[in-house]
Amino acid sequence: MGVIKKLPIYTEKLPGGGLILTSLETVINQAQAKSLWYLLFGTACCAIELMCTGASRYDFDRLGMIFRATPRQADLIIAAGTITKKMAPRLRRLYDQMAEPRRVIAMGGCTIKGGPFYYDSYSVEKGIDHIVPVDMYIPGCPPRPESLLEGCIHLQEKIKKQKLSDWQEK
Amino acid sequence: MTFDELKEYISANYPDDMTLLDTGRCEPFYEVKAEKLVAVCKRLRDDEQLKFDYFCNLGGVDTGERMEAVYSLASYSMKLRLDLKVILPHENAEIDSVQEVWPAANWYERELWELYGVNVKNHNNLTRFLLPDDWDQGFPMRKDWDAPDFIRMPEL
Repeated sequence: MGVIKKLPIYTEKLPGGGLILTSLETVINQAQAKSLWYLLFGTACCAIELMCTGASRYDFDRLGMIFRATPRQADLIIAAGTITKKMAPRLRRLYDQMAEPRRVIAMGGCTIKGGPFYYDSYSVEKGIDHIVPVDMYIPGCPPRPESLLEGCIHLQEKIKKQKLSDWQEK
Repeated sequence: MTFDELKEYISANYPDDMTLLDTGRCEPFYEVKAEKLVAVCKRLRDDEQLKFDYFCNLGGVDTGERMEAVYSLASYSMKLRLDLKVILPHENAEIDSVQEVWPAANWYERELWELYGVNVKNHNNLTRFLLPDDWDQGFPMRKDWDAPDFIRMPEL
């Protein structure tokens, strides 16, 4: 991360340095976008749709998305399912254990705003954006695999547009 | 033994301890006084005709004026079901633990304690069970419970 942050300072002084930077940006962004390994974090019925998306019919692998069982190896956390107040500190802890750059997808109504547990619930966290920064929201209860795939494709497009100069350590 | 036979048996053998409540065609539903609860449960378990050896469930009810604890019992060997209800005051409710009769009651009583605020006496481990360990917002299953981020369903 440190080297990449300093790259614009060196390369832009060289003739054609901007071109190198642009190409490098493309390569890094493509590499990141096409290998989004996600942390398997299914807490409710959204996890069933996540499993379905991972299985052969929808084939998550073709987007370069492979599930990881540990946050140390994951680039993305798909929060699939209801996050209770007791689970929230655990989600934050898993997020903190992930290496940067890290991203979060909020899958389903529960993670967006509490979903069906918005009213009359003492135990459900009303939106995981109180706990972790969210990159992509996928509505639905639960969302169909097509929605999840589209959300991931949108996230990939978002990653492809990012600039090296925008990178900063959080 | 059918439900009617069970009702007859109980009215003959437990006349002072249990009062029948009308629940229609469901299993027999009896009210038990809080101070007699453990003794009645022990008798029901050891009774040769009943053998209530299985503790199914313990539920709590807050009617707004009083607290209720509902014990669901079953008998594997005699194929019977029975419900007991204990009526408690709304504030400072106390009930005796039945875990010396059925050890399975342990977790249910912890739940009753933390969600309804019913103090369970003679319980060996009365600690937080389902709620977060640092919970300090009272008893969420009570009718009058409220919290800053608690949103009540609007009247439709």
